[in-house]
Amino acid sequence: MSSRRKFLKQMSGAALAAAASPAMLTWALPLPQGQSVEVAGEDGMILRSFRFADLETPVEYFNSWLTPVPHFFVRNHMHEPSDVNADDWRLTIGGEVENPVTLKLAELSKLETHAVVNTLECAGNGRSLQRPQVPGIQWGKGAVSTARFSGPRLRDVLRRAGVKPCGKHVMFRGLDEVPGKVPPFIRSIPIEKALDSDTLVATHMNGAALTKHHGFPARALVPGWIGAASCKWLTEINLLENEFVGNFMSPAYRFPNQPVKPGDAVKPEDTHPLTALSVKSVISGPGDGANIRAGKVVVHGAAWAGEADVVKVEVSTDGGSTWAAANLSHERARYAWRLWNYEWKAKGGNYAVLSRASDSQGRTQPAAPVWNPSGYLYNAVDQVKVHVS
Amino acid sequence: MFRNRGFRNSPRGRRGLFPAVFYAAVAMAILAAIMPFWALSDRPTPAKGTEDLPAGAMQAKATTACLECHEARIILQQRLSKGAWTKEVDKMVKWGAVVDPDDHDALIDYLSTNFSPDQPAYEPPRTAAYRNTSDKSAAKPSK
Repeated sequence: MSSRRKFLKQMSGAALAAAASPAMLTWALPLPQGQSVEVAGEDGMILRSFRFADLETPVEYFNSWLTPVPHFFVRNHMHEPSDVNADDWRLTIGGEVENPVTLKLAELSKLETHAVVNTLECAGNGRSLQRPQVPGIQWGKGAVSTARFSGPRLRDVLRRAGVKPCGKHVMFRGLDEVPGKVPPFIRSIPIEKALDSDTLVATHMNGAALTKHHGFPARALVPGWIGAASCKWLTEINLLENEFVGNFMSPAYRFPNQPVKPGDAVKPEDTHPLTALSVKSVISGPGDGANIRAGKVVVHGAAWAGEADVVKVEVSTDGGSTWAAANLSHERARYAWRLWNYEWKAKGGNYAVLSRASDSQGRTQPAAPVWNPSGYLYNAVDQVKVHVS
Repeated sequence: MFRNRGFRNSPRGRRGLFPAVFYAAVAMAILAAIMPFWALSDRPTPAKGTEDLPAGAMQAKATTACLECHEARIILQQRLSKGAWTKEVDKMVKWGAVVDPDDHDALIDYLSTNFSPDQPAYEPPRTAAYRNTSDKSAAKPSK
């Protein structure tokens, strides 16, 4: 089933009411100030920035294992390419290769297709929760979504050019339009990750061609890693001896080697590039500040761990004094989040409901955020406050 | 338990769906009654895509310097100290923002006064409900 049909099917519950008025808001969620902004192909997303587009998925949408494309978060560093079409698009593979090649989309689609269900998360997700605050897009909890990405394996694409032994890093450049003298959005990944059988040049998302917001006609898909590794509107791949040198490898997207006192500066030489995501869970319902009735309440959400597996999600309804295991849903894939739920017999009162995930690498969400100057990899235990009447 | 609380359905669960639809219908009826005509037409809701910077002596100059490359919301959502704003302004000047050296300090004062850590958080709008848009590049087949 195409993602659009699936999406429309999911929407069908509200469709009758929605048909009566275009003002009927998706999922019956109130939009702030009764106003909304039209963004092509998007649905009820939190508008962090319109130009360039940065759109956050509201956590209450974390209720399906695969995120419908109109609900999939969008992170753009620059302006989207104004003119990109399938006929004229080319992908060049050069640098430390035997035979530099240029591929058309039709040639790319002749390579064997592989599908990977991946939870993609912006490294800056949760930045707004850091104290002291740090500059950057002030993401809440929703710069993360999950889709089935498909397309040829990057290693099959690289094989067309033949990587020389000295080609140790794979650089991606997209067609983003760079304003002013801003450094272009270019990053690289190590060859080992590039040759992994699940690393893709993705052309499809949930069974449909990528939309422009998500990198049409092709993007890198580096599973389990920060979203910035998965370059959109991919047009150039360069094999390098060393890590690419540029703003988006350093100082951007780096993490302190040692814990930092909140607010302190960190020297560039005391940092390393971000790669895989942290272990994390988010509560998608009940919502923060919700008033709910006493009785059986299903606390639910999603949990992910980058290249590791989520092994446990625990819920606390007493502010963290005691914890109980949540149920993990059966839908799973190596790099995908697990949905979870917990049945809580709620009595009247005010509560802090917490969730915390643990993974197969022995990591557990920390009680307090790990502060760093750019606000990356926020993964503190999640919390919502609810009133039970 | 998962059978009853299918993850693919509403997080409220099947049994909770009827009241939700009911309340939604009631809310819709109220909305329809109080809404001006434009809201019921087939036009996008008339919120501004981009925002303005706050009033002040530096508004015009900040608009020229900053909004050439990005919209005001990128600024409106920041809550930074004067030191952090100074770093941001200097980075942006390096990246092409045109700021007269005589305006440098006043621009930093303007930003750090309006967007300091003690200000309440910026409340972003939502995007409109999904429409079958005319994103030609996205609609085009992939081969």
